[in-house]
Amino acid sequence: MKTKNHRLARAATIPAGLLAWSLALPAGAEIRGLGGTTFNLSAKVDRIVTGEGGSYLLWGYANGNGRAQYPGPTLIVDEGDTITINLTNRFPASGTSAGQRVSILFPGQQNVTATCTAGTCTQGALALEAHPRVGSVYSTVSYSFVASQPGTYLYRSGTRPELQVEMGLTGAIIVRPSNFNPAAQTAYGDGRSAYDRETLFFLTEMDPRIHDTVEAAGVAGLAATDYLADYFPGYWFLNGRNAPDALGAAASILYPTQPYNCVPRMHPGEKLLVRVVGAGRDQHPYHHHGNHARIIARDGRLLESAPGAGVASGVNAGPDLSHEVFTIQSVPGGTVDAIFQWTGKDLGWDIYGHAASDPMEPAEWAPDHGKAFPLILPDLANLTFGGFWSGSPFLGQSGSLPPGEGGLNPTSGYVHMWHSHTEKEITNFDIFPGGMMTFLIVEPPGQAIDEIPPIP
Amino acid sequence: MNRYKPRRMQSLLLLLLLLGGAPAGAQVFVQCKGDADGDAVPDAPNPNVVCKHLTAGDGFISMADDQAKHQYMFGFNDVTGLPESAVLSEGMLAANFPAPTIDVKQGQEFYLTVTNVGMAIRPDLFDPHTVHFHGFPQAAPVFDGMPEGSIAINQFASISYYYNLVEPGTYMYHCHVEATEHMQMGMLGNLYVRPAQDDTPLGSCSGGPCTQFAYNDGDGSTGYDVDFPIQIGSFDPDFHDASETIQPLPFALMKDRYAMLNGRGYPDTVNPGDLPSPENGDLNGGKISQRVGTLITANAGQKVLLRISNLNVTRMYTLASLGIPMKVVGHNARLMRGNDGKDLYYTTSSVTLGGGESVDVILDTTGVPPGTYFLYTTNLNYLSNDNEDYGGMMTEIVIGSGA
Repeated sequence: MKTKNHRLARAATIPAGLLAWSLALPAGAEIRGLGGTTFNLSAKVDRIVTGEGGSYLLWGYANGNGRAQYPGPTLIVDEGDTITINLTNRFPASGTSAGQRVSILFPGQQNVTATCTAGTCTQGALALEAHPRVGSVYSTVSYSFVASQPGTYLYRSGTRPELQVEMGLTGAIIVRPSNFNPAAQTAYGDGRSAYDRETLFFLTEMDPRIHDTVEAAGVAGLAATDYLADYFPGYWFLNGRNAPDALGAAASILYPTQPYNCVPRMHPGEKLLVRVVGAGRDQHPYHHHGNHARIIARDGRLLESAPGAGVASGVNAGPDLSHEVFTIQSVPGGTVDAIFQWTGKDLGWDIYGHAASDPMEPAEWAPDHGKAFPLILPDLANLTFGGFWSGSPFLGQSGSLPPGEGGLNPTSGYVHMWHSHTEKEITNFDIFPGGMMTFLIVEPPGQAIDEIPPIP
Repeated sequence: MNRYKPRRMQSLLLLLLLLGGAPAGAQVFVQCKGDADGDAVPDAPNPNVVCKHLTAGDGFISMADDQAKHQYMFGFNDVTGLPESAVLSEGMLAANFPAPTIDVKQGQEFYLTVTNVGMAIRPDLFDPHTVHFHGFPQAAPVFDGMPEGSIAINQFASISYYYNLVEPGTYMYHCHVEATEHMQMGMLGNLYVRPAQDDTPLGSCSGGPCTQFAYNDGDGSTGYDVDFPIQIGSFDPDFHDASETIQPLPFALMKDRYAMLNGRGYPDTVNPGDLPSPENGDLNGGKISQRVGTLITANAGQKVLLRISNLNVTRMYTLASLGIPMKVVGHNARLMRGNDGKDLYYTTSSVTLGGGESVDVILDTTGVPPGTYFLYTTNLNYLSNDNEDYGGMMTEIVIGSGA
């Protein structure tokens, strides 16, 4: 198993909670995870932290015998490879979480085989399940399939999924096309899905009553409630974290069981591949401020009427049934791949505040070059300032701010909120803001975006 | 029970004036190209410039189950055409639901001024406000109204937004400050951009070629005879009551019980006119706060464009048409056409939208017998106004004979 990806981010020491907003520029648009063809996962019990400072019981998948994590490790594999996932049940032998069998389902993959390679396993309704440990003997199920189609997928528990997925047993799978080239990336093998950067948006929610009840009284305690049937979530997550923690550094010691952040960053003109996974049980209208995005695939299949149909390059690149949206409708168990691009085209004023004689910036929209800013901004005394406001309407420029204002946007990028438009879901229980929310940062041209190389 | 007598409101206004509730330097300041007198109307008519002046504050609406049952809300009011000196008093307690409809056209420069008139019922609040033009393409933060990445306007002062309108379609707008709260409280409105193709005879409408279109389709296939904006919304009365009575706001327990179209539940939806001021004007000095009816009327043979958007904050809703097929021609302010020109229109009997989504639907009434039809949510429990059944998210489509 390749493990080259889990380096500690350099910004791992920033304080928790709201101070995570003052991100020291954690790595940008990138997808972290595990590469390779064989993955040794465990199902374990641990805890997560929520954005307002809460802490909840987690049942999660772990890499090897490491700590459980939420979501489980993102598995990044290659089209055509035979993928083997060995799942060992490392739930505790005692306590309120004891006694769970565990398994994995792979929606969207075909011909999945499962064998019991250690201990005791039983065929459940949906999947071959590994039994809880007996003494020092742990049970392991080995699942195998050929990753036959590129795209964005998920995996999750096939054992009591109504409870175990809620408790955290879920993760993402990304299948790279067989011709994947890190220097010229595509999601599905040709120019219709070409992109410069990519970000995963793994959407989940949690009902805190369920976690508290299981922790206090075990699964049996739920029998006295209607919580599973009358699901009423109070937390919403992107890649396993609530806002503002989703903006903190990846692989931070502050979130030991939530290693993934969600901070899309890009330059004007670049193409950002947005991989949205509906991994919970609710629908979410995921609204990306800034511009439309072109939906090119659903559930790991290009939106094409025939192989190769569509436009191969340019701003309209995409399969022929692709279409543009300003809100991505994410449904439970479904995935969406979309291409987002931003240039500031046709705003009617120069986003760099250029004089007509100034040189052009890369990807600048030429017809607006040198056009004056059209309005007078209010006096500073009459304004309330966002932390990401640079003090200037121009990309890459800062301006005067009263003491203590701004400060979260040291590169003076354009910061756009990307969030669930079911606005209740941008809270952490009773606290606003939080939840299923992060920010895209369009960085000025030339501003380095620190990210790990794509896992091939 | 009349808790808010007009005299109380007047004394509140007096208090604000006497105590100088506005900070020094605060001012109403309209910015509109070609407008020197500050009424947000260009002094010489210019088809390429459109201006609007909205106030942002609080107010009241009445609910469909009981005209005596009001909801406290935050919202916008249209003061376009008024001098700057009249705006604070006119805008105070004048919140509308839905917010005033913004109906603009491709090719125009749109100047939108927003003046924060404060919260008369909640003087303990000093919330700023913004306008987020939801879906505006290639947005820059300064005019996006998303407060974390930009700026929001404080009380008794104005901010102006500039939009170069190049992409027609059905958008929506809302305040984005403390979004969960301000949007549940009602700062939501219809916004659409008419296409440049309008007034070009194309396609087939009831009296000949169409001259109005949802998009620049090139063939008239989105042409229509009559159009109606329809915004899906819903309120949780517990949240509004908590806000009105200065209680902690129930974010986690939020669950909407008033499901509405254009700020009303059935049967108020089929009232084509303004609703009377809530509680006989006792609450807000007689200001009209519900101006957008949703009675859909057409003559048989006409094409009806429904510009449907959803800005509720708690769930997805499905809207269905009973008896008249829905042809979906636009989605999220884009003509439904593939990047190679392929027609992606489809015919259905229902559309499902989450908050922040829009669709454009054409009802072709050719061959439809005159009569009354329904547009209603198939989330059937929301055919209710709180505890009252037979209401909620529903309206009537009345097809006349044209005689």
